[in-house]
Parts: sequence; C-alpha cells; structure tokens
Amino acid sequence: MAARPTLVPITVLTGFLGSGKTTTLNHLLRQDGLRGTIAIVNEFGEVGIDHLLIETTEERFALLDNGCVCCTVRGDLVDTLKAIAARRDAGDLPDFDRVLLETTGLADPAPVLHTLMVDPAIGARYRIDGVVVTVDAVNGAATLATYPEAVKQVGVADRLLITKTDLVDETRLRTLRARLTAVNPTADLIAIRDGKVAAAAVLDIGLFDPAARSADVVAWFERAAAASAGAHHHDHCAGDACDHPAHDHAAHGPDDHGVHSFSLLIDGPVEWEPFARWLDYVASLRGEDLLRFKGIVNVAGKSEPVVVHGVQHVFHPPKDLAGWPTPEHHTRLVFIVRDIEPSLIERTLGKFASIDANRIRRPPREGAVHHDHLTTA
Amino acid sequence: MARDAEAADVIIGNGRIYTVDRARPWVSALAVKAGRIIALGGDAEMKAVTGAGTRVVDLGGSMAMPGIVDVHTHIMMGGQAELYETRFPSTLGVAEICARVAQAASNAVEGSWIVGGQWGVEQLANLNTAAALAALDAASGDHPVLLRDETYHNRWVNSAALRIAGVTRDTADPDKGEIGRDPASGALTGVMIEAASGIVERALAASGHYTDAMDRAALSQSIAVLNSFGVTAFLDAASMQPILAALKQLDDRGELTAWAVAAMPAIEPSFMFGLAGDELFALRETYRGAHVRPDYAKIFLDGVPGAKTAAFHDAYTPDPIHGCCFRGATMLTVPDLVRLVGKCERQNIAVKIHCAGDAAVSQALDAVDVVRSFNGPTALVHHIAHASYIRTSDIPRFAQLGVAADLSPIIWYPTVFLEAHKMAMGEERATRFWPNRSLHESGALIGGGSDWPVIPNPDPWDGIEGMVTRQNPKGDFAGVALWPEQALDLATVIETYTISAARMLGLGRTIGSLEIGKSADIIVLDRNVFEIPATDIAETRVITTFFEGRVVYQRD
Repeated sequence: MAARPTLVPITVLTGFLGSGKTTTLNHLLRQDGLRGTIAIVNEFGEVGIDHLLIETTEERFALLDNGCVCCTVRGDLVDTLKAIAARRDAGDLPDFDRVLLETTGLADPAPVLHTLMVDPAIGARYRIDGVVVTVDAVNGAATLATYPEAVKQVGVADRLLITKTDLVDETRLRTLRARLTAVNPTADLIAIRDGKVAAAAVLDIGLFDPAARSADVVAWFERAAAASAGAHHHDHCAGDACDHPAHDHAAHGPDDHGVHSFSLLIDGPVEWEPFARWLDYVASLRGEDLLRFKGIVNVAGKSEPVVVHGVQHVFHPPKDLAGWPTPEHHTRLVFIVRDIEPSLIERTLGKFASIDANRIRRPPREGAVHHDHLTTA
Repeated sequence: MARDAEAADVIIGNGRIYTVDRARPWVSALAVKAGRIIALGGDAEMKAVTGAGTRVVDLGGSMAMPGIVDVHTHIMMGGQAELYETRFPSTLGVAEICARVAQAASNAVEGSWIVGGQWGVEQLANLNTAAALAALDAASGDHPVLLRDETYHNRWVNSAALRIAGVTRDTADPDKGEIGRDPASGALTGVMIEAASGIVERALAASGHYTDAMDRAALSQSIAVLNSFGVTAFLDAASMQPILAALKQLDDRGELTAWAVAAMPAIEPSFMFGLAGDELFALRETYRGAHVRPDYAKIFLDGVPGAKTAAFHDAYTPDPIHGCCFRGATMLTVPDLVRLVGKCERQNIAVKIHCAGDAAVSQALDAVDVVRSFNGPTALVHHIAHASYIRTSDIPRFAQLGVAADLSPIIWYPTVFLEAHKMAMGEERATRFWPNRSLHESGALIGGGSDWPVIPNPDPWDGIEGMVTRQNPKGDFAGVALWPEQALDLATVIETYTISAARMLGLGRTIGSLEIGKSADIIVLDRNVFEIPATDIAETRVITTFFEGRVVYQRD
C-alpha cells in the first residue's frame, strides 16, 4: 500500500474590509516563519511587498526574501491550488509545506471552505488548517451589527485577530471580546497592533486535522462549554436542572443576527447509524444556520472516538482518533449556529439518533478561562 | 337602492344557497361586486346593494353552492387528447392501429406529426417487430408518428420519428429505458419503453408541433370540461413548463376560468419530459398570475398497486415474476425525501407526494416528521396523493404533521381498479382501501380529486356519491360496498370538495365557501342534493357555473 501523501495545510485568512487583514498579511509575509509557505493573495499591489521581492518569475508568482512564495489568485481557487501543486511537482516552484490563502473582504467564508472540503482533487493534496479572521477593534462592533456576513466570518473562525487595539480603550476592547466570545467561544482571541502577529499563532492550527490534534477538539469543547455556560447565566442552577426554555434565549444579543453557540455532553456510547442519519438531517435541513459544528463521539462498539465536523451543510468525512484524550469518554458536541436552539438539537437527537434526553447534558460551568494572547511579534 | 359606486354588479337571489360556512350554512341571496361576494342573506337584504346597473339572477328556488375544487388533475392531457390526437381503443391490433394512422395522415398537414393513442400493453409483442414498423411506416406517408400506450409510459413511433429523434440501430438504450428491437433481426421496431419514450417526446416538443396557441386551446378545452361539472379551482399535479406557460397566457388574456394551482415536478417524471426541479422552480414567478399559483412541487414516491409498483409493508400475492415476498419499492429514500422537502420549504413550496402503497405513505410521513422536527411549524400544506392504503397507525399522523390527504382518483367504491388490486394483494387487504372516515375523524385535512385522465371524466358528483355510499354510482358491482364503515355524510363530503380542498391548495381565504370577501365562484344545481336519495347524487347536473361572478358555463 502506498504511503498516504502528507496533505498540505491551508490557512484561510479573511476579515471585513478595513479590518486590518491586508496589514496583517503584509506583516506575516515579512516573517521568517513563512519560509516554505505559499501565500495566495488577491493582488501584490494591495499587500505592498515590492521591496520584499527577490525574484518575480512571472506576473503571478513572486519569491520573497524570507522564502515565501507569493502568488495571486487567478480565476478559480481550485484551479489555482491544482496549478501550484502541479508546478511544484514539475519543479517550477520551490517546495512548499503550507498555504496561506487570503479571501476577499466581503466574502462569505463558507463557500471557500466547502470547496476545500469537498473537491476531491483538493482533498488529495491539501487539508484545511484553520480559519483566521481579522476584526477591527474600532469599527468591529458596528460592522457586526450591520453585516450578517461579518458575524458569519466570526462564527467560522478558529483564530480571531482583534486589530488596531492601540486605538481603543480597555473597556471598549473588553466589550468587543465579550461580543466575539458570545458568537464564537471556540476561537482563540488574539489582540494585535499594527498587524503584528507571529506566524506561529495563526499557522498550523490543526483544527481541521483531528487525527493530529485530538486534544484540541476537547479544548475547543471545554472553551465552548465554559463560555456558553457563562453566557447562559447558568450559575443559579446546576447541570440537568437547567432545562427550561428560557435559557435558550439568553446567549445572544440583538446585534448578532441570531448567531450563538452552545455545547452538549452525551453520556454513554452512541449508535453510529442513527447518529449519522441525524447529522444528515441537520445538514440538509438547517445547514444554512449551522455555521460550525464539531463533535467528538463515543461510538458504540468502538474503543476510539470519532471526530465529526462541518461548516454549514458540508461535513468532513468522520475520522477516528488514535485514542481518547480524556479519561472520561463522553460524546461532546459544539454548535455555532444562527437561530437554532439547543432544545431543538436535544429533541431531534432523541427522536432520530436514539439518544434519550436523560443522557444529554449541557456541560456545567468549568470557569470561563479564555486562551487570550497579546503577541508583539 | 344603493348608489352606483356601492352597488353590486350581480345579485343572485331566490335560491337555496348552501354556503359551506358553518356560521351561516344557508342563505337565499348573495351580491357580487368586482368578482367578490359583498353581501349574503335574505333577498330583502340585497336591496341595500342593488343599483341601477345591478344584474339580478333569479335562481327560481334552485340549490347553489361554492364552486368545486379538484385537488388533483392533469389539466393539459384531456384537452390535448380531445383536440389534437388520433384516439383509438387499447384493444386495437397492429393493422387496425395502422388504419387509424393512415386515416389521420390523409387529413393532416403535409409533414406534420401525428400523435395518438392509446395502445394496450398486451399489444407490445405484436408492435415490437420490424414488420409492424414497416406497416406503420407505410400507413404514415411523410408524417412522423408517435403513439402512446395506455399507461403513458411507453411509445410506438414510426421510422420518420426515429430519424428526427436521431435514433439508429447503434443508439444505446438509455438508463431505465429500452429501444425496441426485432427479436429476430435486431432491427429497430419503433417501440420505446419507459425512459426511451423521452427521446422521441423531446424531439416532438423540439419540433414545435405544439404551439403556444394549441396549448392554450387544449387547456381551455379541459377547463371548459371542469367548469361544466362545477369545478372552479384545480391543482395540476405535474406542471411541466408548457402547462405553466399556457396557464399564464390564458390568465393574462382574462380567459382562465378557474383558479389554477400548479405542482411542478421536483424530478422529471417517467412519463412527462422537460425541465424539472430547481430549473423549473426558478421560473415560478414568471408564470405566476392573478389566478395561477405555481406553489407546489410534485414528488413521485412509488407506482401503482395493480402493476405491483406501489410500495407496501406486506408482500404482494406471490407470482412467477416477483416471487414470494415482493413488496414493491419507493423511488427515493427517506433522507432523499427529507432533502427534497427541505429544499422546497426553503423556497416556500409545498409538496404533493405520490404514495400509492402503505409503505410509501409511511415514508412520506416519516420524512415530513423529520422536516417538521427541524424546521418547526409551517403554513405550507403538504399532500400525500392517493392516500388510499394507509396503516392504521399512520392515520393520526396526517393531522399531527399537518399533512393533507389527497383523495384521488374518485374510486372509493368497487371498480375494475379494485379488482386488479385484489389480484395483486388478496381481497382482504385490497378492500381496506380509502379510509376516508378514519382520516376525517382523526382531524386530517382531506380533499377530493379526480386524477383526470386516469378516470375518463372529472365529474366530482360521481365521487361525492361514492364517498357517501361506498357503492359504485354507475350500478356496476351492484349491491357491493367498499369498506362501508368508511362512508361520510354529505355535508362533510361537500366540505371535502370545497373548503377543505381550498385550504389544501392554500386558497382557503379566497375560495371554498361563500362568505363576504371571497371569490364569487358559485354553481347552480339541478337538484337539492340534501333532499334526494344518496344513490341519485351522481346524477346531479350543474346548470350554471359562475367564476368571479361571471357565467363561465351554462347548461343548454
């Protein structure tokens, strides 16, 4: 059997217009950490890398002095990714082991992720590493309030870079952080200034490669659990007692376009077939509202857990982990959704996935620890 | 006397008008302005809305009631067959069919297509020879010929039609279809089975044989037939693009004399050809009109019990072809159906799902159950078409899930269909057919439909009598009733054909009963159906049909 080729991780960088995405990209492109990376950008001119160029092989490709190859996207993203893989194979491009992909500011990130997830030609060569989203500390709150697409970008993020933090005071920053955490508690928040972020903080996130980072899935869940427990004001009642519907509406504010998150714990093993059917139903009926879904599942008859995750209606094929990263083997599900209440998920799990309500718990609060960084690369 | 601005256009009075409004079931008069009912009550009460220009219609004590709603018809087929097709009975053999074609060819415009039918399936072996094709070619002159069978699933065409369609000896059979070849020589025979029919049907459509004007005339012909039976609203149960186009054109010309709700196939049917699914849904707003509502999708989940293509929980009677344990199968899985229904709901389209067997009914209900569980309540009313064989445990699910039962065709009494079903599954199961009363008492919305031309004419009075008596109104199978416990009273049956059917079509606020603000779709009958023996209901004749206050049918 031929060895499975190493898949090249793709980091998707997105963010609304004016959110500091280009400045951040420009800063990243100067770093030594970008050696071996091929950066796919919208336009060279925008990024302002002229002085970094050591060689421009042709209009679309440029080699930077830090060993990063920069290329502009032309036409279809899939074609571009296929072309660069073919050129590397032919020796036309230096070897690369990572891709940093800039998307346009107005873009809904979901279709790009879907393309990367479902195109077989892409899947044979690449995997998604993570989604990095820039949010501007000055205008971010207003942008989120005005544009549902911006909330969607935040919803699918693995890393949220809060830019221009030098231009706002602590209170304002804290409010924005709370806001972002309410929408997407699973993302790392990183406050930056002048676009300065260390390549290591945004590359090799590995969240879309469950086999590599099983513990990260649990960490994702723990954070979501902590944040949603806090946001749901569960303090006054514990665990199973907190079942009444009023809790379903507490998490999200009026400006989040209905986007919020929650997580569920399931006791005991899960029968795979009905669970997979339930996933199919969620994806086909509520996919539009399912910004991000991730789960680590204790499948009946298997000693290893299975990781499932999806962006809207598109799900990655489920993957077996090498082993449980935690001593207890609960199924953990994390949802970042628009207008889907936890009660609907609980009810339908019971009805279609053969999981009784008394096996489903909203995780107890475990202290709202947030993995914040303030990097000054 | 009212001032002209407030005066009614028409007052219909001195009648026994059954309103189907439970708050006020009977009135003697009503007033109509701009096609809508503006007053109901006693004749004396109409004075307030009578003006100088008001026309008064004296019913002379006749019974009137709301126009009837047919929840399931194929509106183009009847008119097209009557106006443009060479009709012959399914008993004809090769020589007789060729004689009919030769006669049609002598009258047809040079080079034009000859379309006709319907040959019997038992003729298939006789038609499927090179010699039969040679005979057909000799009879057809320079005309391409396309003849449909009685099931609408298969065709017999001549060599000119094969040529136009680009079919040669080397053409491979399409998926789910077969191009007929002479068993001896392998030469083409002109027989086209199932999906192969589409190759020639598409060539016929592409030839421009049916012009817009012909399609409009065919629809007008069919709707005139409906109007003559008192039908003023219908759902077309497989609306291909030419049907939508013709409905819209008629409506824009002010010539559409019934409310037309269209169910666009979600997947191209096996017997009609052209755009379906998203491509067809995309044209919805283009074809929407004042009276045209393309707000439904049609999904075929199984076939028919007689041919053992319907999906049942229990096996059919054993036979040499299907063996001992054949249950039929659905064409889609529950997850497939969930995806389709979900897609339709996202576009605010309700679905009509063809389910002839009880397993198909269960699966359709299962799928709607999934969709409701995830999507929550909806104003859309999904239909299970031909809700006839239903497991007892499924009956309450119709009301629970808000799924309406489309009771069509109107054969809830002993017929030759039932005899075929007895052959297929044994008498006991076959006669647990059409649990109309159980559905009604469970709270399900039920509506009457004809499925014309599956039955030869769309006369609702035949169905209304049968739903009350459970006996064959024509006197066939005398003295035999089909599951008589499932009979319903006449008032309920009339609701089934009016207000309930209107609600099923999403038109419950506009039609289906005579109330202020509703469309003045009114029919005048030759008898008071509440005062005659139930066995005479099918004899009821419509004297006058008003559509929006306008006479669209008057019996001679």
